[in-house]
Amino acid sequence: MTPEARFRAYMQAFNSSDWDALREYYAPDIRLVIGNGAELVGRDAIIDFYSEVKQQARRTIEIVQCFADGNTLAAEIESEFVAIEDAPDFAVRPMAKGDRYYLNSFVFYDFEGAQYTCIRAATFRREFRPAAAYVDPGAEIET
Amino acid sequence: MSHAGGLRLWFDAYLAAFNRADFPAFGDYYAEDMIFHGQAAELKGRRAVLDFYHMVRSRLQERVELLSFVAAPDGSRIAAELHTTLLALRDWPDMPTGSMRAGDARMRVSFAMYDIAEGRFTRIRTARFSPPGGNAA
Repeated sequence: MTPEARFRAYMQAFNSSDWDALREYYAPDIRLVIGNGAELVGRDAIIDFYSEVKQQARRTIEIVQCFADGNTLAAEIESEFVAIEDAPDFAVRPMAKGDRYYLNSFVFYDFEGAQYTCIRAATFRREFRPAAAYVDPGAEIET
Repeated sequence: MSHAGGLRLWFDAYLAAFNRADFPAFGDYYAEDMIFHGQAAELKGRRAVLDFYHMVRSRLQERVELLSFVAAPDGSRIAAELHTTLLALRDWPDMPTGSMRAGDARMRVSFAMYDIAEGRFTRIRTARFSPPGGNAA
């Protein structure tokens, strides 16, 4: 499997919240470093973090582009968070139920074999859309 | 030499030209209608980007070091991790990324995405990875 194909499978596991599958992509001592200075070490810390975030917001990641060279894969990803409940202490920013938050990020994934050893992410663009301003295109309009 | 290896040398030469403020040499890497999404400016066109850097270099020294380099196999994109050091030559109170006083130094790490066509950058985008750090002289 190419690093790019593995990355797409990894993101599929992430989007379906398949934590057991996700765990297999991480080296035991993996480091996740986010541009705000936050750092998580170890599979469990990362899985715990992601699962906690997903209890408050539905998060879907779309791969804009990815390519690998040597033992590093570079990716541009777009994350959409939709708050499931009011989450004043949400990891990214306070969210009210129905709020949407978008992040466009550049990420480096260092890997050894089939496992990621270090993930570093920086945010390129962010956009917050409060629920009050969002019109669901599938919603019925009362007249 | 592999395609990625050749691209790495090409990119190293770009950074070397940038660091010695060789405007004709690093400007030659920019497509005429390139798009630039930097942390201090959003610009369109080679002339606008070079004018911007001329203005910046009149106020501070800038040195960029390459920490990580990933090239797409087809040579159309580069992702780079860059360590930038800024040294203010004079006061710049309204600097877009935060005011600096003469002698101040500022370091940061950024991730940059470069789109390439016909041997030139068509789009450059940067995202800040580390919070700005540094010491006032």
